[in-house]
Amino acid sequence: MAEEENTVREPLDLIRLSLDEKVYVKLKGERELRGKLHAYDQHLNMILGDVEETVTSVEIDEETFEEIIKASEGDSSRMVPYLFVRGDGVILVSPPLRS
Amino acid sequence: MVCSSTAAPLQLRDGRKIIGTLCSFDQFANLVLSGAKERIIVGQQYSEIPLGLHVVRGENVVLLGQLDAAREPPPGLELVTEAAIKQAQRAEREAEKMKGLILARFDFLSDI
Amino acid sequence: MLFYSYFKTLVGKEVTVELKNDLAITGTLHSVDQYLNIKLNNIRVVNEQKYPHMLSVRACFVRGSVVRYVQLPPGSVDVELLHDATRREARGG
Repeated sequence: MAEEENTVREPLDLIRLSLDEKVYVKLKGERELRGKLHAYDQHLNMILGDVEETVTSVEIDEETFEEIIKASEGDSSRMVPYLFVRGDGVILVSPPLRS
Repeated sequence: MVCSSTAAPLQLRDGRKIIGTLCSFDQFANLVLSGAKERIIVGQQYSEIPLGLHVVRGENVVLLGQLDAAREPPPGLELVTEAAIKQAQRAEREAEKMKGLILARFDFLSDI
Repeated sequence: MLFYSYFKTLVGKEVTVELKNDLAITGTLHSVDQYLNIKLNNIRVVNEQKYPHMLSVRACFVRGSVVRYVQLPPGSVDVELLHDATRREARGG
């Protein structure tokens, strides 16, 4: 039984082994999430805890060119305690980040 | 599902807002709206364009609301003519296009 | 069915639904269905000035397919329960 729990036969098994671990999720729209994986299903709907979301966007400050460059360098990020993520936006899920 | 004989505001995936009476719906959120009108809001101005009876395919539905009659139309908005709102919309699109051009130039530079 | 079952336990709680068009709506979860379509009551839009057309809306139906995130109330997330349910679902599916 324990052996069966640890084998990786299909891609989603890799995600199963990441349960309760910190994962990296890349999403459509230049979005990235880092957080603890608490639940997922076959669509890659997920619930993450202590999530940091980073959105990389080039914002425009109409006036001058310099301002555009400045805005594009600063990534905006925020923390959310618990987040449900709809699977259709998921590009990749990467197993625990060990630092 | 919101179901009532009063006007319901519908938000579409392309950003348009349609207000109409919900006559029917199904499991895909395909909707039938009668007496529908498109509400265009630009800045603090709005206008309504009559559309009549509409069938909306579910995949284009973002949100169907229930109006609070006491706050309808939204406070702080001024009703203008269809021509005026279309003009304002064009001006807004032009401004967006300018932003896009600046962005494109920036993308080009970052490739070098 | 995992997330459908989970969202049913959240009925009556306050959640914030973030849509793919960047609209974020906070409201009381009224109901959810198998597609994860959501009905919210007593709603308020997070960035009201940017979405004036939502000012007169107090309840709404959101099609599941346009949802990007749902921010969940911390008190109603039972982590152990979710782990068990996820493992069960992974075995079954």
